[in-house]
Amino acid sequence: MGAYESDWGHASRFEPVGGEIAVVGIGEAEHSKASGRTTHEIAAQAIERAIADAGLEPTDIDGLMYSGGMSEQFDEEAFHAHFGTRHSMFVSKQGGGMAWAGSAPYIAARAIRAGKARHVLNVFSVAWATQRSSMLGGPGAFHAAEPFKFNLELPFGWFPQPVYFATITRRHMHEFGTTPEQLGAIAVACRRHANLTPSAIMRSKTLTLEDYLSRPMLVDPLRVEDCCLISDGGAAYVMSSLERARDLAQPPIVVAGVGEGYSDSGTHWSQQRAFTSTPQVFSAPPAFAMAGLEPKDVDVLTLYDPFTIVALMQIEDMGFCKKGEAGAFVEGRTLHHDGGVLPYNTHGGLLSHAYVLGIAHVVEVVRQLRGQAAAQVPGARVGVYGGYTGHMATTLILRRL
Amino acid sequence: MAASSFPLPDTDWDATRAFWAGAERGELVIPRCGGCAAYQWYPAPACKACGGKQFSWTAVSGRGRLFSWAVVRHGFLKPFAKKVPYVTGLVTLEEAPAVRLVTNLVDCEADGLQVDMPVRVVFRPLVFPDTERQVMAPMFTPASEPVAGKERNARDV
Repeated sequence: MGAYESDWGHASRFEPVGGEIAVVGIGEAEHSKASGRTTHEIAAQAIERAIADAGLEPTDIDGLMYSGGMSEQFDEEAFHAHFGTRHSMFVSKQGGGMAWAGSAPYIAARAIRAGKARHVLNVFSVAWATQRSSMLGGPGAFHAAEPFKFNLELPFGWFPQPVYFATITRRHMHEFGTTPEQLGAIAVACRRHANLTPSAIMRSKTLTLEDYLSRPMLVDPLRVEDCCLISDGGAAYVMSSLERARDLAQPPIVVAGVGEGYSDSGTHWSQQRAFTSTPQVFSAPPAFAMAGLEPKDVDVLTLYDPFTIVALMQIEDMGFCKKGEAGAFVEGRTLHHDGGVLPYNTHGGLLSHAYVLGIAHVVEVVRQLRGQAAAQVPGARVGVYGGYTGHMATTLILRRL
Repeated sequence: MAASSFPLPDTDWDATRAFWAGAERGELVIPRCGGCAAYQWYPAPACKACGGKQFSWTAVSGRGRLFSWAVVRHGFLKPFAKKVPYVTGLVTLEEAPAVRLVTNLVDCEADGLQVDMPVRVVFRPLVFPDTERQVMAPMFTPASEPVAGKERNARDV
C-alpha cells in the first residue's frame, strides 16, 4: 500500500470498504452569488432533491453527516424540524464539504456495515456570498483566528488564502518551470465546462487563454481567474449498502476506494516541509490500492480547486503525471471533457461552477458515471474526487457497476 | 487583541513574546532546542526533532534566502488597502534553512526579486492607519551574494 508516513505527513490507515456501499441519490441546491438565503434553506433544498433522486422518503434517512467545524450546518435537529420527523439517526460531524466530502463515504460505509444506519446522507451548504461583508466574515475567518497566523503572518499581510497560494505558485514555478499559460489552461478548462453546465454561476461568461493572460494580477503571480468564486449554494448525496442500492431509483455508483492524508504542519502552509505538494501524496495511493485501480484507469477527475495551483499540485501528487510535470501535462486540451486525456472538473469546479467547497464535485462525478452530466465524458466508468483542506487531502474513487 | 490594535501582533502572547521583544532590540531571535540544538519554527511546546522541552530564544545572523513571495495588489483587509502593492513572502535563515519566516520585502523593486536570492534582515515598524501603537518587526531586503564555497560571514550584512 506504499508509505504511510514521511518527514512531512502521513496517511490514515483505512480498512478496506471498497464495493460495500454506493451513492444512490444526489441533489444540488441553486448555486448563486449573494442570494439572501440561509445555509439551512440551501441545505434543505439540496437534501429534498437528493432524497427524491434516490427514490427514498425523509424517514428512510437514518444517518446524517455534515461539517461539524463549520457554523450553521444542517444538523439532526434541523433535519427533523424541516421534515417533521423524529426518528433516531446515526450522526457524524466528520462529513460535509472540503476534504470531508471525499472521506464521508468511509465513515458511512463503516456505519452501514455496523448496522448503525441504512441510508446515510452527507450534506454541505454555504452562504458566504450573502454573509461576506469583509474577508474576516468569509473563508479567511478560520485563518485569522489561528494565533500563529494572527501573530506571525497576518501583520505582514500574508493573508488570506490568495496570498498563501500565490507564494506557493511562485515557488512551484521556480522549482518546476510552471508557467502562467499552464495555470491558465486549468482555468480555461473549468470555464469551458461551466459554460455547458446549467447550474454553474459562470455559465454565460466565456474565458479564453488570451483573456486569461490579459487579466491583471490580483496577488502576483495569481489573477482573479486563478481563484475560486465566493458563492451561496450546497449539495447533498445519499449512501446505502450496495445490496439496497440495487433496488433504488438510480443506477448505483459504487464507492471503490477512499483515502485520507495529512500534512504534519497543519494549516501552517508557510512551514510545510514539502511546500509545493499536497497531502494527496499520502491519500491517493491507498485509495487506488483499495479500489484495485490506477490513475490511468480514471475517466473523469474532479479536484477541490480553490486556486489553479492546488489543482495542478494534486494532479501530480495523485500520480496522474510525475511530480513537477503537471504544468506541461495540463496544457492544451488535456483536461477537456470532449477528448481530453484527463477530463477534469467537468462542471466548472470552484473556479467557475460554484464555491460550495467540493460537495458539488462529488455530485458531478456521480452524474458523470450515470451518464447524466451536462459536459458528459462518453462512457465514463471510473471517477475520482480529490478533496483538499490545507492540512488534509482525501481521495474518493467511484465506479459504475 | 483589542480591535484598535488590529492587525498588529499581540506582543504579550506567551508563544511569541520573545520574538517581538527581540525585534524591539534589533535582534532576530528564534527558539532553539536545548536538547538537540535544532531551531524550531513555529514555536511549540516540544521539539519536533528530539521531543525536548527546553528552548532558548537564540539570536541569528539575519542572513537568509528569499524562499518565495507574492506581490499583493488587492487590499483584502482594510488596514492593508493603502499599502498595496506590497511584497510579502517567506525567508529561510542561514543558520536554519528549515525555518521560514513570514515577512515583508522592503527597500527593493518587486521586479528584481528572485527565488533563493540572498537577503538580510532590517527592522521596521508595522504601522497601520487606525492603530494607535506600532510594533518593530523583522523585514528583509536583498543582500549581496555570499562568497562562494565559504562560510557566509558578516561582510554580507
